[in-house]
Amino acid sequence: MIGSLVQWANTLLFFYYLACNLIYLRLLVAAIKASVNQNRRQKTAWLDRVRRSPLTPPISLLVPAHNEELSIVESVRSLLRLDYPEFEVIVTNDGSKDGTLSQLVQEFQLTRSDYLYLPQIETKPVRGIYLSRTERRLVVVDKQAGGSKSDAINAAMNLASKPYVCVVDADSMLESDGLLRIMAPVVNDPDRVVAAGGIVRVINGSRVKNGSVGDVRLPWGFLEMMQVEEYLRAFLIGREGWNAFNMLLIISGAFGVFRTDLCKHLGGFRRGAIGEDLDLVVRMHRHLREQNQRYRVHFIADPVCWTEVPSTFKSLGNQRARWHNGLAECLWHNRCMLFNKRYGRIGCVAVPYMWLFELLAPIVECLGWVSIAVAAFLGLLSRRFFIQFLLFGYVFSTLISMGSVLIEEMTYRRYNNWRDLARLICFCFLENFPYKQIHTVWRLRGIWQYLKGCHTWTKIERVGLGESPKPSTAAS
Amino acid sequence: MPSVSRLLDLMGPAGLIVQALLASLAAVVGLLAFILLRRGARRVYFWRRDRRVIEVRAEWDAIVDGSIPPKKWLLSRMSREIVEGILLDRLEVASPKETSALLQCLRFSGLLDSRIHEARIWRGWRRHKALLALGRMRVPEAIPALAEGLDDPEEECRIAATRGLGRLGLPRGAVPLLERVSRGKLEVPSSLLLDALINNCRATPALTLTFLMKSVESARPLLARVLGEIATPDLDEDLLLLASDELSEVRASAARALSCARPDLAVSILAGLVDDEEWFVRLRAVVALGELEDPRTIPILLHGLCDRNRQVRIRSACGLSRLKNHLEDILCLALKTQDAYAIQELVSELERSGGIFELVTALGDPRRRAKAEAALLAALRGGCRRILLDLVLNHENWRTRGMLARLLGRSSDPELHKLMELFDSPGLPVRKRRVLRWLKRQLAPAQASLSQAVKVVA
Repeated sequence: MIGSLVQWANTLLFFYYLACNLIYLRLLVAAIKASVNQNRRQKTAWLDRVRRSPLTPPISLLVPAHNEELSIVESVRSLLRLDYPEFEVIVTNDGSKDGTLSQLVQEFQLTRSDYLYLPQIETKPVRGIYLSRTERRLVVVDKQAGGSKSDAINAAMNLASKPYVCVVDADSMLESDGLLRIMAPVVNDPDRVVAAGGIVRVINGSRVKNGSVGDVRLPWGFLEMMQVEEYLRAFLIGREGWNAFNMLLIISGAFGVFRTDLCKHLGGFRRGAIGEDLDLVVRMHRHLREQNQRYRVHFIADPVCWTEVPSTFKSLGNQRARWHNGLAECLWHNRCMLFNKRYGRIGCVAVPYMWLFELLAPIVECLGWVSIAVAAFLGLLSRRFFIQFLLFGYVFSTLISMGSVLIEEMTYRRYNNWRDLARLICFCFLENFPYKQIHTVWRLRGIWQYLKGCHTWTKIERVGLGESPKPSTAAS
Repeated sequence: MPSVSRLLDLMGPAGLIVQALLASLAAVVGLLAFILLRRGARRVYFWRRDRRVIEVRAEWDAIVDGSIPPKKWLLSRMSREIVEGILLDRLEVASPKETSALLQCLRFSGLLDSRIHEARIWRGWRRHKALLALGRMRVPEAIPALAEGLDDPEEECRIAATRGLGRLGLPRGAVPLLERVSRGKLEVPSSLLLDALINNCRATPALTLTFLMKSVESARPLLARVLGEIATPDLDEDLLLLASDELSEVRASAARALSCARPDLAVSILAGLVDDEEWFVRLRAVVALGELEDPRTIPILLHGLCDRNRQVRIRSACGLSRLKNHLEDILCLALKTQDAYAIQELVSELERSGGIFELVTALGDPRRRAKAEAALLAALRGGCRRILLDLVLNHENWRTRGMLARLLGRSSDPELHKLMELFDSPGLPVRKRRVLRWLKRQLAPAQASLSQAVKVVA
């Protein structure tokens, strides 16, 4: 009885992994095709048209900031230098306990004002609104800590007066033409495109000067390199692939453009949501499908947002646990969409994928190990088959990772150095062992936190955006 | 020794796994080889290309004037691409004299003819490239080929043809676009089409009007939008017709166009549009009124300031804040409306646009002081307190600080007195605390009479 149960479980697991790998392979093929086409289009794109056209819509940049005194001034300066015809920058000081607000006040000569604030979306109380004497495009909202990024973004959104909002993390850095590039699909199809997202890349290891990334290099730390691989795979294959099928469920909260009226209609970013970016896009899909409206959520790998990733196990673990916690929370909140024909391919394909192959993946993996152990104990496990299957899984996953490096090579080529390319390829082999297993543990922690009802943000240690440390002579 | 296939058969299901494993390994090795070989090949290609570019640049003048015959470089694909690339780049920034020489080179070398031929014969990405190149050449001979590209079944080619025609900047370039648009037969992104038409019809807006009058209903908003961007004063009477069109998008575009019409006519038409049932028509109307920067627009913009739609109020406030010489009258009239939202919107806009800072700075100019004082007192009554208090304490010019402090002292604003409690903190420098205390003393009678009035009411 136990034996047949174990065999049945192993068969199920086999088909689970087969399905997962086939889906990722399909996404890889779609992503390669989409990236090559996009690259062709970008070679002949005329960004000047977007810059000079009277039809290019203005944007409100929303920047939530909590204890960001190390980097807030540099971030805001680099945002104000962006190349875009018309935009405003609204920074929310979300109850920071450090000198975030005082840094801004001093640097931009802010004065507190009686600026009209109409809270269409409910947030924690706003203590004051500051205007700059030197920079008319900058507004700073000072509010009580809301305990989440959503609250801070919503406070800024209440002040947004432009038809599109772009959410940018305070510790991230956009490239100067990032807004032009991310708005290109919006400008081309303003009636349908309701949200657009760019790619987030890892800034660790690169040289930053005067608010822009000068020399793009890979980081030296193991964890940071793993995250480079992860981000490349997640964005260049995952998001590009889902975008090709018009089933994109997430726009990165670090760099995403949304239609303001739609966001406000949906109540902005949900306060209880930890994965607020995923939650908003899923709710957009839900609302627009219910209204039977034609729409598009776009991903473009061209506009880049550079962000600092955690460099310690503790910080990274906390971040990944939080992301998985947010995923669980969002999927549960929108569970009515699961296998619901009313939501079309989103409900019947994208959402089930997220449930089965993202949310439950760490549980299935653990159960798989248990099942294999029991089978081995009962003498039901073919050792040869097991080793071959493991090897196949490892090699196939490495193939997918290499696919992302291939896309990077064929299209964006940010890492031009031969040494960086060699490191990228080498780390493809390390991503699936041992990093993936550690990642599974973090994700399990996220599920456990969700089941316990733990929804607090934990601090990520940051070094700050600035000149990056040079590698030691031993490493070079 | 059994063969490999026999071995795999003997393995049973594991054989399948082994096959999959070997295939994946082969794919990984293949990918690796592809990446490395491709990078190596690109390196060699760009090294050769860079060398050729240097050679071409050294012989550039001879290539352009024909001293080096075209057949020397036309037959090599790399040389041809380099020469064409440099030619098209230079055309973007050339002076008129250089432009004619470059166009002459395009013609006699056969580059233009070959691209026209490619645009007509090829399909897919090759046609797309040819159409884009033709567009960059900006020559009238390319118009028929680009026009044919508008009918391509692939969207990318239609986009390339539209962009190409748009770059011409000639009314002749607009005709193929307008013909198809007016029949509803062109499917390209609307923004691209609008940009192309705006660029081509800028010199002759009447051309757009002609097609607008005879176009299908679905195309009228788009053509009206084009007209809105390029209208000139001689279209006044036609704009009057469009302003009363049944389609709201056309009315909105007419409002946009009226910002460049004769002010007396524009103001009267826009005054009607400010009461339109559609919010975006009202919005366009107040934006156009703001751009006129005419004092006659003040009552109409004040009416817009009290609109039920917030965007219309915001843009009305923007328009009013541009009339810097009339701020005193505007603020007094706004106060008379007794619409709290309207007043706050105006004050917010003045704060945001720097109007308050300018008024405060104007206190230092004897010629503008009286008006500035009156405007600031009106702004104060409208709710602009924090920023003025902040400027009393922190303005860089001590004379301005003094004048502003005396002005606030004379204002008898009881709310100001209450607000000063928030500014007065233990860490404040002595000088600033003294100023605050002085102001409190000045405003104390006003605060006392307010307290008395409250007691009486209670």
